[in-house]
Amino acid sequence: MIPGKIVRFLEQYANAAFGGTRDRDLVPYGHKVCGWRVGADQRTMTALVPEGFTSGLVESLQENGELAVVVEEFPSHETYQFKGRYLGHRAVQDDDVEVVDRIRKRFVRSFRSIFADAREDVLNAFVAKPSLAVEFEVLEVFLQTPGPGAGTRLVPPVES
Amino acid sequence: MRMTRLPPTIRPVLENGTPAVMVTCSADGKPNTTVISQVYFVDETHVALSFQFFSKTIRNVRENPRAYVCVFDIQGQADWVLQLEFQRSEAEGPIFDAMDMQIEAIASMTGMSGIFKLRAADIYRVLSVERLPDSDGTASSSDLEASSGG
Repeated sequence: MIPGKIVRFLEQYANAAFGGTRDRDLVPYGHKVCGWRVGADQRTMTALVPEGFTSGLVESLQENGELAVVVEEFPSHETYQFKGRYLGHRAVQDDDVEVVDRIRKRFVRSFRSIFADAREDVLNAFVAKPSLAVEFEVLEVFLQTPGPGAGTRLVPPVES
Repeated sequence: MRMTRLPPTIRPVLENGTPAVMVTCSADGKPNTTVISQVYFVDETHVALSFQFFSKTIRNVRENPRAYVCVFDIQGQADWVLQLEFQRSEAEGPIFDAMDMQIEAIASMTGMSGIFKLRAADIYRVLSVERLPDSDGTASSSDLEASSGG
């Protein structure tokens, strides 16, 4: 189960994400993620993927089910990785687009704090429109914020 | 042997200070995705990635040398995708020193001084490079420069 603190991070602060898959030969592939949603039971997530990054995605997921999505808040670099198993995919809905619109606003606001001269339309284009929604069961959550604790598994907690 | 060469147009993107993303895969088939602060141009056929914290990535590429990296050209509204193969790790020398200086500069710019610390420069051979279209489809993959040789 994704802890409430991390759900709040995902829904209110995070502004960039990327997914990783692999094919049957263990060759890794990446997929930009422009939006994300947490399931009501906090056990699933939906990754929203833009057009240019869907190639091979569903085929790999249907073949082996493995997915790893990293979500970050730029520029604070608070980062978590969600590893899990593919449940299904669907077309994008209107409320998915609204989720991405909110994330795009957060991204532009945060990025501008570092790159003040960046053009608004250029920053807006970085968070592209979603074209595919991939739902997955979250089995593990890792802290990946840069620092000594990076890589620590948070869910399920590491037994001491 | 087919050799892929990095086009000159990718160099400013590698040096733009924007974090990149790396995907690796363990021998038992679990992908791992991580944000990396630097992709360093070594020569036309090699890049170096900064080894700072991501021990799972380090373990993965020693089990399975294949890696995927995406670098973002936000100003140019395009993304560059590289397929890589891990070759070796260097903890000293000119590549390490140059990357260490760049890491310090990035850390200073993003308020991460004292946290970003280069432990090694991992050298990868470039297997393929592709410039992906942006969301409007206006960029093209024509900058792909692959040549046969070696």
